[in-house]
Amino acid sequence: MEKIILNKLPVPTFGWLKVNSAERDAAAFGTGEEREVLLADGSRAELSGGRSVFEVTAAENEKTSAVIYISGSEGKDLTTNVKAAAGAEVKLVQVYENSGPAIGSVNADIAENAAFELVQLYIGGKDTVSGIYADLAGRNSCFKADIGYLLDGDEKLDINLVASHAGKKSQSEISVKGVMRGSSEKTFRGTIDFLNGSSGAKGAENEEVLLLDETVRNKTVPLILCAEEDVEGSHGASIGRIDEAQIFYMQSRGIPVDKIYELTARSRIAQVVSKISDKDTADRVNAILTGGEEDG
Amino acid sequence: MKEEKTQVADIDRSLYDFRYEEDERDYLGSGITADIIKEISDEKGDADWMREFRLKSMEIYNKTPMVEWGPSIEGLDIDNIVTYIRTKSRMNTDWNDVPDDIKNTFEKLGIPQAERESLAGVGAQYDSELVYHNVRKEVAESGVVYTDLESAMHDERYAEMIRTHFMKLVPPTDHKFAALHGAVWSGGSFVYVPKGVRLEIPLQSYFRLNAKGAGQFEHTLIILEEDSYLHFIEGCSAPKYYEAGLHAGCVELYVGKNATLRYSTIENWSKNMYNLNTKRALVDEGGKIEWVSGSFGSHVSYLYPMSILNGRGARAEFTGITFAGEGQNLDTGAKIVHNAPDTSSYMNTKSISKSGGISTFRSAVTVNEKAAGSKSAVSCESLMLDRISRSDTIPVMDIRTDKADVGHEAKIGRISDETVFYLMSRGLSEEEAKAMIVRGFADNVSKELPLEYAVEMNNLIGLEMKGSIG
Repeated sequence: MEKIILNKLPVPTFGWLKVNSAERDAAAFGTGEEREVLLADGSRAELSGGRSVFEVTAAENEKTSAVIYISGSEGKDLTTNVKAAAGAEVKLVQVYENSGPAIGSVNADIAENAAFELVQLYIGGKDTVSGIYADLAGRNSCFKADIGYLLDGDEKLDINLVASHAGKKSQSEISVKGVMRGSSEKTFRGTIDFLNGSSGAKGAENEEVLLLDETVRNKTVPLILCAEEDVEGSHGASIGRIDEAQIFYMQSRGIPVDKIYELTARSRIAQVVSKISDKDTADRVNAILTGGEEDG
Repeated sequence: MKEEKTQVADIDRSLYDFRYEEDERDYLGSGITADIIKEISDEKGDADWMREFRLKSMEIYNKTPMVEWGPSIEGLDIDNIVTYIRTKSRMNTDWNDVPDDIKNTFEKLGIPQAERESLAGVGAQYDSELVYHNVRKEVAESGVVYTDLESAMHDERYAEMIRTHFMKLVPPTDHKFAALHGAVWSGGSFVYVPKGVRLEIPLQSYFRLNAKGAGQFEHTLIILEEDSYLHFIEGCSAPKYYEAGLHAGCVELYVGKNATLRYSTIENWSKNMYNLNTKRALVDEGGKIEWVSGSFGSHVSYLYPMSILNGRGARAEFTGITFAGEGQNLDTGAKIVHNAPDTSSYMNTKSISKSGGISTFRSAVTVNEKAAGSKSAVSCESLMLDRISRSDTIPVMDIRTDKADVGHEAKIGRISDETVFYLMSRGLSEEEAKAMIVRGFADNVSKELPLEYAVEMNNLIGLEMKGSIG
């Protein structure tokens, strides 16, 4: 069986932690002929198996948004290439819906004064390996990512996000919120890379992980690489259960503990869903999250 | 008026850079061979188990590849490193019995003076062997053992204790340079603090590598029994040579139930040194390890003290500062393993990069399945003083239970122009203002150091900052 190495950490670290890359059996993921799809503004695409390359492009000073659903139990392999020309704005929403094995990558070129906003939701998923590479090459280029995941059972998720700041005054803002149950496993690698010459750049990254069962396994790897003096970078991570003071407060308002966890988990993901401006997509996601029940 | 230097390209190392010529007939030869290792065993009169241990370690060394991460060590050729230098002197308990050149070295470094004024005991190693070890009478009478490891190994009172602890926390299979250490280790200290004994003044071991193109492989073994307390200080330096030098020491710390060990290090090796050191602590129920670590010297450093919290309620604190200047690539940090319920850890580090120096903060926090109720907080801050330097932050958190509370925060940035402007408006020069800000940045570490070390650290920062403008 052919093994493939994915999601390489830009700068490797202690080998025993097994976070330097993700190794997978190639045959478990999408095979067959590659399909190329151009996504125009307002497109909604769905991938339920095989290999696809999506192109999302915004010409100078234009705005483009697109939604891609990744669903179905078949293995799949998708690449999404994003090009935001000078002054353009691109918004991409990707929803992994209880998907079978999936390899995904988003490669974004962000030019001067351009902005790329990425919203990704991983709702379940047998084994998802996802790479996100944002090249902030242009001056004042901007990358914003809101990522949410909800994992249960033996689901596995492996994410590698790299925001590479080459442009002066480029900005990145990465927010990740997750809920883990059962014996699910997740690795999130998030790298803010300030290249020499990126003076005035700013990058911020934050991950909040709510752990709800004692058999979960969470790995968080937030890197800042810096070869420039005049930059500001920060990262933060908060991993664990709900704060005891918060539980106490909610209990004092008559909410049982089980419900507190359920509400908190739902609100974490709802914060990411709220970034989806396309109403149909938001409704579809909310329907999955509530199992068809009315929320509230 | 006192005249001040205005341009110092590097730390003023005159305090450390003096040296005495060695007699090369005392060298056992370069590289790692079975013959050299057997010769070291003969020199030391090793017990059979130690002879076998050394040779087995050499086999592991030969089979183990170098790690695939971290700074390059291409400039280090082990075949050219002298692993053992015969001592000119047996170990002494009186400085007057130490040969003059060695005594003068330690006098210049201020060790005998510190011993008189503020320490409970001192060990001094020169190249491969301890040349001085002494402990205050009242400390010895309390049952505290502080001696060189090799004497203790040959003393029937401690031989078995050492055999059951030596390289059990850091086995030779841990990594290539742990295996090298197992093969050629020499010198180092042994400390045993009995149950209930609290040593209120510190012990200090100082390691000096004088010889050119040599390695120092000292082994420090500290065992604290229940309810005891110790502050142990480790200092190290070497004069600068063009040839690469190697430090591959090993520190193993056993912290008993409800005991506390504070382990402070100011590392100031010269900038031809490869500092590939391994430090590890095993902490029992209710015990605490406190690491205070300052990394200023070396050409290349790999240094990540590890705390294994193995008993309920065990705690670890790591406070560190790394200052990487020209020609330095310092890869430092810490590792913490939560292996029991209700354990807690706190890591607080600062790193500064200047004049092309590379500073990397690398950490690992692991909370295992059986560590329910554990908490960990990591905070690291990096300061870039120019645009030719580099600073990387590489933390990993591996959490295997839901009943944990783990937080991490990191920041990187530069000295703010507004702050410098404010201080200059109060009459400081730009250089003074920047030096003051850097000292403030390092304040959390200097507060944790013994006073004389805090003063030394502040002086080092001040000297490094001179000439930093423009």
